[in-house]
Amino acid sequence: MKSSAELPLLARPAWIGPRGTAILLLTAASIAAWFLLDLTPRALIPHAGGIEVAKRFFAGALQPAFEYESEVPPGTRPILVTVLEYARRTVVFATAGMSLALVLGIVLGFFASSAWWRGEHIGGASRTGRFLARTIWPFVWLCTRGLITFMRSVHELLWAVLFLAAFGLNTFGAVIAIAIPYAGTLAKIFSEMIDEAPRDSGLALRQIGSSPITVFAFGLLPRALPDMCAYAFYRFECAIRSSAVLGFFGFPTLGYGLAQAFENLHYHEVWTYLYALMALVIVVELWSGAVRARFVA
Amino acid sequence: MKTGAVRHGFEDVRPLQAVPQLWKLRPRSRLVRFTLAALALLVVYAWCAGDIGFDEMFTARRAQNFERFVGTEIQPFELRAEPFSLMRHVEWAWDLGVARGFEGALATLAMSILAMTLAASAASLLLLFAARNVATRDPFQSLETAGARGLSWRLVTATTRAVLIFLRAIPEYIWAYVFLALFGPSAWPAILALALHNAGILGKLGAETVENLEPRSLSALRQLGATRAKIVVAGLFPLSLSRYLLYVFYRFETCVREATVLGMLGIVSLGYWIQESRSRQFYDQMVFFVLLGAVIVFAADLFSTFVRARLRRA
Repeated sequence: MKSSAELPLLARPAWIGPRGTAILLLTAASIAAWFLLDLTPRALIPHAGGIEVAKRFFAGALQPAFEYESEVPPGTRPILVTVLEYARRTVVFATAGMSLALVLGIVLGFFASSAWWRGEHIGGASRTGRFLARTIWPFVWLCTRGLITFMRSVHELLWAVLFLAAFGLNTFGAVIAIAIPYAGTLAKIFSEMIDEAPRDSGLALRQIGSSPITVFAFGLLPRALPDMCAYAFYRFECAIRSSAVLGFFGFPTLGYGLAQAFENLHYHEVWTYLYALMALVIVVELWSGAVRARFVA
Repeated sequence: MKTGAVRHGFEDVRPLQAVPQLWKLRPRSRLVRFTLAALALLVVYAWCAGDIGFDEMFTARRAQNFERFVGTEIQPFELRAEPFSLMRHVEWAWDLGVARGFEGALATLAMSILAMTLAASAASLLLLFAARNVATRDPFQSLETAGARGLSWRLVTATTRAVLIFLRAIPEYIWAYVFLALFGPSAWPAILALALHNAGILGKLGAETVENLEPRSLSALRQLGATRAKIVVAGLFPLSLSRYLLYVFYRFETCVREATVLGMLGIVSLGYWIQESRSRQFYDQMVFFVLLGAVIVFAADLFSTFVRARLRRA
């Protein structure tokens, strides 16, 4: 008979693991938040006016407007053309913002990643190379990290608000407002992907004396590129949503038309805009999903 | 050629030709090439279509606006006459924080925490109907992928997935805008908006996680005679919890970011004070609240990174 001493030695089970702690923490914080915000379930029951609004709002879901709900001056463009025009501009601002963000994000992502200068054999044999790798690049790395954290800590709508206050309403402001936080996010994720990509070819290049830039461009970047492309495409989808919401601040995108229809209580028109936005986002999501499946095999 | 050499596709390729040969054999996808071309065209179109007022940005009037904004407007109103003193600025910021900012920041955090809990709970139920290996007639019967799923089960997953995609296709800001009209001003519209959008995202990510689970232990449970509910509670949740929590805390970070902004609709979070100072053109206060927002987003980011690192090690 086997004695129990021969059983494999296991760590004693903890009462609550890290996951349990996380869940308990979240629950406790939620209860605290409930009291902090003075929430009552009763506030969830819409007031009488609210119910009326809700009825008319959800009735609109079944019949999105194909014509304006009120009298319009003759010669006004049909509503579908208006919606399409707003949708087109939504895509235009998202694309322009995203293209700027991509360029900025790649440059900042390069300086925010550490795999190409950190470690052994850095900077080759030359003295300047070692100096760069031991003092300059770490310093640049730290500054870039700080910069991209700040860029993405401020929401794109708040960037837009800041630009509105600083320059006045200008469509280029919308593009930059999208570009700045998105560049920060892309740079962060890109640098993480580069740092986490397999190092084999990078190390091989380093051992034959390549410069850090060569290690980056030919050793590390190609390994991370598929993931980077997939992520950039996902962010494009987010950019379209952001671009639509910027309309609430006066920029000519889908949110603008939506807010107008909502304020005029034209709920059928609201749903036309909502469906247009949904169609746009879903098309991009399915497309990016299909592309990602090819990229990240 | 020596006998016994390993035969492979490149045996008669001399080393110098190997690279071009490999280049020719690289994986190529028509969809990817089409996408890259289409996106490049789209970028060119976006910049050239004339919707972006690029020239209009750099006029003398705008330069003047900018100079006024940076030169005077963002400096604390009360301190503009005095010579610059860091201590007085800190004092000014602290007073503003105590008066409004810190409470708003706390409310922002509270809203995102509640929204996250709601979203995570709702999505953990929804994902059971969205995951194709669970929502089937005979879950975990074999170790291969689910076989025939039956029309009704396929309808269930399709509907759930449609609901999830609907939830996440609408931005939080628009959800909040709509709920505000229905429920009136309280924290609920913001919480519900954040919860719905994130439930759509977490449901999708969770369903993917469950579909990629190693089916062995689930199958074992099934063979022990466990019911569907038992399989879910005893096998599926514990197995996928780590990854799911990673996603939850990753979304928490984004949630705080969005919650800051939702206040601009008139819900008491930091955004409320941003909007309020903006409409009164107190840009000094507005910039302070924006920066305070950046600080709490940064704090949430650090917290979520810390928690995720701990969870990943576990």
